[in-house]
Formats: sequence, structure tokens, C-alpha cells
Amino acid sequence: MKREIKFTLNGDPVKIEVMPNEKLLDVLRDRLGVKSPKHGCGRGECGACTVLLNGKSIRSCITLAIEVDGQEITTLEGLEKNGMTELQKSFLQHNSFQCGFCAPGMTLTATELLKKNPHPDEEEIREAIAGNLCRCTGYKNIIDAIVDVSKKG
Amino acid sequence: MEYKYIGKDAKRPSAVERITGKAIFVDDIRLPGMLYAKILYPKYAHAKILSIDTSEAEKMPGVVKVVTGKNIKHPFGDCLHDRLPMAVDKVRYIGEPVAAVIADTERHARAALSKIKVEYEPLPVYTDALDAMKKDAVLIHEHSEKYFYVTPLYKPTPGTNIAITYEIKKGDVKKGFKEADVVVEDEFNFHHMSSVAIEPHATIALHHLDGTVEIWTANVGPFAVREQVAEFFGKNISDVRVHIPHIGGCFGYKSDPGIEPLVAYIASFVPGRPVKLRLTRKEDFTSTFIGRGIRARVKVGATKDGKLTALEETLYLSTGAYADTGSNILIVAVQTSGGVYYFPNAHVKGYSVYTNTPPVGALRAYGHPEAEFAIERIMDMLARKLDMSPIELRKKNYITDGKTNVVGEKFKKSDGDLFKCTESVLEAIPPKVEVKEDENYLYGVGYAGLIKAPKAATFASKGCHIKFNVDGTVSLNMAGGDVGQGLWTVARQIAAEALKMPPEKIKVYNEIDTQYSPWEWQTVGSMFTFQGGNAIIRAANKAIDALKRNASLVLKRDPDMLEYDGEYVYDRSYPDVKVAVKDICRGYVTEDGTTIGEVVDVTSYFRLPGVQGPDPETGMGRTGGSYTMGFQGCKVKIDKRTGKVYIDHFATSIDVGKVIFPKGAEAQVLGGVLMGIGETLMEEVRFKENGEIANPDLIRYKLPRIEDLPGKQTVKFIETPDAVGPFGARGLGEHPMIGVAPAILNAIYDAIGYDFKEVPVTQDMVKKVLEEKGLTVKDKEE
Ligand code: FES
Ligand code: FES
Repeated sequence: MKREIKFTLNGDPVKIEVMPNEKLLDVLRDRLGVKSPKHGCGRGECGACTVLLNGKSIRSCITLAIEVDGQEITTLEGLEKNGMTELQKSFLQHNSFQCGFCAPGMTLTATELLKKNPHPDEEEIREAIAGNLCRCTGYKNIIDAIVDVSKKG
Repeated sequence: MEYKYIGKDAKRPSAVERITGKAIFVDDIRLPGMLYAKILYPKYAHAKILSIDTSEAEKMPGVVKVVTGKNIKHPFGDCLHDRLPMAVDKVRYIGEPVAAVIADTERHARAALSKIKVEYEPLPVYTDALDAMKKDAVLIHEHSEKYFYVTPLYKPTPGTNIAITYEIKKGDVKKGFKEADVVVEDEFNFHHMSSVAIEPHATIALHHLDGTVEIWTANVGPFAVREQVAEFFGKNISDVRVHIPHIGGCFGYKSDPGIEPLVAYIASFVPGRPVKLRLTRKEDFTSTFIGRGIRARVKVGATKDGKLTALEETLYLSTGAYADTGSNILIVAVQTSGGVYYFPNAHVKGYSVYTNTPPVGALRAYGHPEAEFAIERIMDMLARKLDMSPIELRKKNYITDGKTNVVGEKFKKSDGDLFKCTESVLEAIPPKVEVKEDENYLYGVGYAGLIKAPKAATFASKGCHIKFNVDGTVSLNMAGGDVGQGLWTVARQIAAEALKMPPEKIKVYNEIDTQYSPWEWQTVGSMFTFQGGNAIIRAANKAIDALKRNASLVLKRDPDMLEYDGEYVYDRSYPDVKVAVKDICRGYVTEDGTTIGEVVDVTSYFRLPGVQGPDPETGMGRTGGSYTMGFQGCKVKIDKRTGKVYIDHFATSIDVGKVIFPKGAEAQVLGGVLMGIGETLMEEVRFKENGEIANPDLIRYKLPRIEDLPGKQTVKFIETPDAVGPFGARGLGEHPMIGVAPAILNAIYDAIGYDFKEVPVTQDMVKKVLEEKGLTVKDKEE
């Protein structure tokens, strides 16, 4: 049975009818046109679909859309409302990504970390993004970019 | 030589799009009226299809059409036409499409799949070439004699499961082994792995009502897709149009036509409607190309002072259900069997053998890691037998100026300096380990050389279209796919250097469309810098010549008396006599309004000069064309309790001729080495006896994660200018992966005294050896 849910998406209210087993990732991408969360595995194994639920990173591919009823969802589209963030500028500086498919998930995970802990050390950074897979980069330039931001401010 | 733009840091075109999640990948595209396809796969990896009943599925909600292979008239392919987009009367691997449902949503399509009824008659399953080659083996392709092949090189052996046989003969191996004081012989096995880009495959196909076909896909061979799809449907090539948006990583398996012919076939049943197929992660493992899968039996001989005298080798590629895409992998592996070493005598034979696995296709550096793994491991074994340092032995036998590789290609000084590469790796990781063992760990070092040529079709070219705009800026259009390796950046830097203008004035294309992009073969073989760079230089020179011709009309000087500096064309002896480029790039409007001169809009192409197909008799010939060489080394530490191998330090030195984009070049090595660590220590597509894949997900198929990073990585580039490469540059992208496996396994031997002869070497395998050798320590509390 379809059910209507309401949630805040990047600061704006959203109202949509969903099936009880519909995944948040599919609702965001295929029905709401929010394309930055990516489908990498659909099973919670890669982190490409990461979004923030009330500021906490979750895997939207294994989250049911009905679970976010009444909650707040943030994707890259929301983070960038005022242009690129400091973290994104640092990624650019460090040539952090190659194909960029993992970038949205990686960015949201790192954003969550920096919010909780603005000055993490390298170990904490590695730990935070350890569950996000990247096939291209060998991770080093991603870590370096986050380290750079952690030293600022 | 001083360069202004190359070798310097540069902005990456499209970096902002990619970082901010704005880059459009295939699955981000939704076309009006789009339908979705889901695929039915067989229960068996090898079986006859007795019947397919789609009637129930057709009645399911949202279903528009159910498609089977019965309309397929003939197989398709590139070198050997043995491929089918969908099974016709038998299935040959577990991920082979048997039927497809087209529906309004993916959900509806998926629901209908279970209603399709298929009856099979199972056949014996082979996942290893050696089994499929046995005399009594059932044929996977009963009529391989009917397949079209482009040259006899790709001719199958009917009545057997052998698809391609390729052999090279250099000198006299018998004599070579007679001259040898020491002979080493062994067998090696490089298991199958998968490219595993984080973006799974996705394709949209649309058959227009006028009979033309349009395809959107993630593939670095758009023109190959166009040609094979046109050929399959009997259409004009010009009536198939392929769009390539951003690609979320390639690593090989998105470089030959993969799921595109399948989606085009499915979409042909619903003319006028676009059909999207996006693979799940599982399908990405089971139903696209896998890589590697080569066994090697190697025998080398050497004199007692360490001079190699002969190489004898047999290679077996378990090529999977279709051999077309694997053919060149086998050929390349044979041609690379000698690695960076000079063998006066060599006899190498390779078989690519049909098996019941997904077809083997390209995977970063294909053919090279497999072959060089074997030779680099056996060099260490030989050094031990000779009681010589493995470094000394290698240096004694490097292919240097005037020497030939196993296919007889002569090397020149300008091909690179292996000695310098070796030195710089040894500087980072000295060949002696100070402490070999402590309470918790065993330590070791190991090294390997690496070499790779593009190994492309002899007609492989890249094109560059340069369009001067009326404000003096330039639009640069090519068909090279930037899968993240930084190709668009390199293109812009080379264009800036050649056109003498800042990169900011040059806009590089960010989308490929066979309707507009200049033709190129495929963006493969790490040859974009080399070929594409030269195409850019040629186009730039052509444009500059045109500008000078226009200026000569305006300035009343012969064109060869004029100079160009990116902004002006001027008289070389009186530089004040000049005209601005922006005023002459669309011809020149004279005072009375008459326009003279030509529009500066040019296209040029470049191919590897003098590359030839191998001689049918001897297998020899100038098959590489341009080589990049290097050296890699590592220090490992092995946990005595767990058997886990940690890479303390990994060093790579490659002679790239000239570094164009330093940050990008370094990033290629960092990523390539980690991918190499993956294939060495954890990555394997594992087959069950029935041909099922045991680990088609990212939990059981282990990709390297942050914790697998080497403690330290050293990257050094040597710059011996290439004779042909643009500004002396050579290819680099795939190379960092080649020496990783043998370097690590050589280091493991150094640490624990055990020769692993296959990859991956998992933690459990190491632990077992530690236990057998009594090298483990038990925790006290245990
Ligand atoms: S797509 Fe959600 S974790 Fe991979
Ligand atoms: S940049 Fe390609 S997957 Fe991370």
C-alpha cells in the first residue's frame, strides 16, 4: 500500500507517496531528481549513496523511504547551496578524485566527521571514511584534503 | 627544454562537476517515455535451452515486451565474431542473458522475470582452461569453424575448446638451453578478477522510428560500440549514434562493447521508446567482462654468470564463454612473456580456451601483469639458484639500446632508462632488510621490472578538432574518454603548449558523441597522451599554418616570414607589423567589408607509426610500437599471528619520457598501485564447480580499502624523452599495476622463505605457510 511521507530535503519540505519497501535512494534519484547520491552496490557495501539523516550519514540504498518520514535529509545539493564548501575546495586543490563517482558519498561522510569533530587527526579521518570505497584514487589525496581542512579554523 | 604549460600544475576540466556531484553519468539520464529492462539469467553455467515460455510474464503489470534471443540472426564481435547479445539455443555462462522484460518501471520488470519459464538440459561446466582442453571435454562452441575472424591470427580450432592459438619463435631455444648452466622451470597462475568500477554498467538504447539508433553508455570505445551495433543490425554505421556522458571509472571492462549490443537488441523490440538497463552490483560481476585468468608454464635458462639464454613458455587463458575480447589479451601476454629482459632465444605458445565463465575482457594493463608476474617471479628463483642478487641478475639482462624483445622489436635509448628507474627505487627501498624479524613480524623486500606497449590495432588513431573562436579562444574536441585518469587535463596542457596560449583560453570537450567527435579507435592501452597528444600538436600546427596564410593576405608577407605567439601573427623581422589572431580566425574582414582568407577550423589524426601485425609464421613483428618501462619495489611486514601482509613501503619509478600533468601522473600511480595490491592480496572472482560466482558482492569480493594502503608510497618519474611522443611523453595509466604482484610475492619470499606462485595470496594462505614452517607465534593467553 502506498503511503504519504513528508520530510525536509535540503531545507525544503517534500511530500511524496511511496511504497513501504521503496528505498530512499530510488525515491531521491528516480522520483525527486536528486542525482548526487549514487547507486554503487544497493546493499550498503560501498558508500556511494550516502546522505545525511538529521546530520548523520546513512546509506540511502538500504534505508526505506518511509523511515525518513518527518526527518531531515541532506545531500550534496543542499550542502552546496552557497557554492562549494571548504572541504570541496580542498578536494579540488588536492586532485582528490578521479572519476568522481564516489565523491558525493565521501564528501558527506567527511562533512559529518568535521561537524562532529572539526579537528580530527589522520587516524580519525581514515576511520571515518573507511567504509566508503573508491576504486580510482588509492585514497591518499582524499585523506590529505580532509587533513588540510581539519587543520584550519 | 623549457615548457610553459606542460609539466606544471593545472586545473582539471570537469573537476568541479565531479567533486560537486553534478557530473552526469548514464544512470542520471532520464529520457521522455523511457522504459526499463531487467534480465533473466540461467540456472546453469552450461546448458542447452529446450524451451522458453514467456506467456505468463507478458501478462504481468507494466510489462511492455518480453524478449528472448530467438530473433538473433548471427553472432557479432571485433576480431572473432563469436559473441551473442543474448543466449539463442544454449547458455555458456551463469551471467548470460536468457530473456529480458521491458516494463514501465524496473520494479515491474523485475516482478515479471520470475514468470518466465525456461527448460534446460545441463552440460558439464569448465571454469579452467586446462579442464576445457581435455580430450573428452564437451564443446562450448560446437561450430566455431563457422565464426568470422578478421585475420587467421584469430582463427579458432574447430572440434576443441581452443579459441586462439598464438606462438612466437625467436632464435633457437634448443641451442639456448644447451648454452645454459642453470635452468629454472615453474608454473604460475593469475586468477580472474573484476574491474569493479564504483559505477556499475548502465546503457540506454533507442531505436528511432526512422531506423536510426541512439545509445547512451559508459564506454571508452564509442566508435567500436557504433560499429558493432551497426554490423549486428545490418545498419549503416552512420545511422548509429553513441553518446558518452561521464564515466564512473573504467579499468578495462568498459572499453569493449559490453552490454550495449544487448540493450540495443532489447530496445529493437520497442521502436520509438528508449530502454534503460542498469546492472546491479551482482550483475556487474556476473554479466560483464572479467579479467586476467592466465596460467603460465615457464622455463628459463642462464649461464652461470647470469646471462639469460632461453625462454620457453606456454600460456593458458581461461577466456570464458566468448573469446573475441580475450583474444588480444592472450596475444599480448605471449608478446610480453619476456618482460624487460633480453632473451636471445624464445619459444612461447599461448592458448585461449573457451570456459563457462563470463568472457574475459580488458582489465588495466591486460596481458602484461599476467605474463610479467611469471617472468619476474622466476627471475628471483633463478637468482637464488645462481646465488646472485636478484637486482644484479635483472640489470645484467635488461633490454637496452639495440637489444630485442621476444617478438624481435629493437629497443632504442629513447625508449627509457631502466637502470635509472631501478636506482631510484633502490634508493627508496634498499635491497637489504636491517631487521628480518621481531617479536610480531617478519620483514622482507622484493622488486620487479615492468614494461608495456599500447598493443592496439595497427589502424588505431586519435583525432583532434581545433576550432578558433572569434575572441581568440579555442574549442578543442576529441573522443578520448576521461574516466578520471586526467586525460582532458593533459589534452588541454598539450594544446596550450602547442598553441602558445594559456589553458584558460582552451575549452576541452566534456562529452563524446559519435555524431560530432572526431573518430578515434578506443581510449585504451594508456596511449591517449602519446597518440592524442600528437594529434593535438598536428592540429595546432595546421591551425597555425592557416592563421599564417590568412595573416599573409593582411600583412602582405609570405606565410613563412611570419611568426605566431598565441595572440598575434607578426612579421618576424618587424614585429610591429602584426594582426591579432582573433581578427583572422574566421578570415579577415577588410575595410570595405569584403572578407578574405579561410576559417580556422581543423582536424588532425595520429596513429602509432610502423606498428604491424605479427608475422603469421613466426609470430614476430613490431607489434608494440611504443614502450614504457619502470621498476617497482616494496617492503612488507608479515604478522606472525594472523598472516596478514602489510605493505610498509611501496616504491614505483617509471620512465614516462616527460611528465605532462604531475598531480595526475602521481595519482595514476597511487591508484594503480593500490589496485595492484588488491589483485595481489585479496581480489579474485571465485567460481564454484557449477560455474556460479561465489562472491559477486563487495563484501566477499574484497576491494582494497583505506586500511590496505601502503604505509608509505614513493613515486618517481624518470624523463628520457621519447623519440615520437608529444614533447617526449609516453603512456603511463595502466603501468603502475604491472610490477605490484611479483614485487610483493618476491618480498614475501624474502620474509618467510616461501614461493607463492599464484595470486591473490590471501591472509589464510600466508598463515598456513607460517604454521607449516613454524614461524607463527601464539598469543600468550591462548
Ligand atoms: S549504493 Fe548504497 S552503499 Fe553502495
Ligand atoms: S574517484 Fe572514482 S571511485 Fe573514487
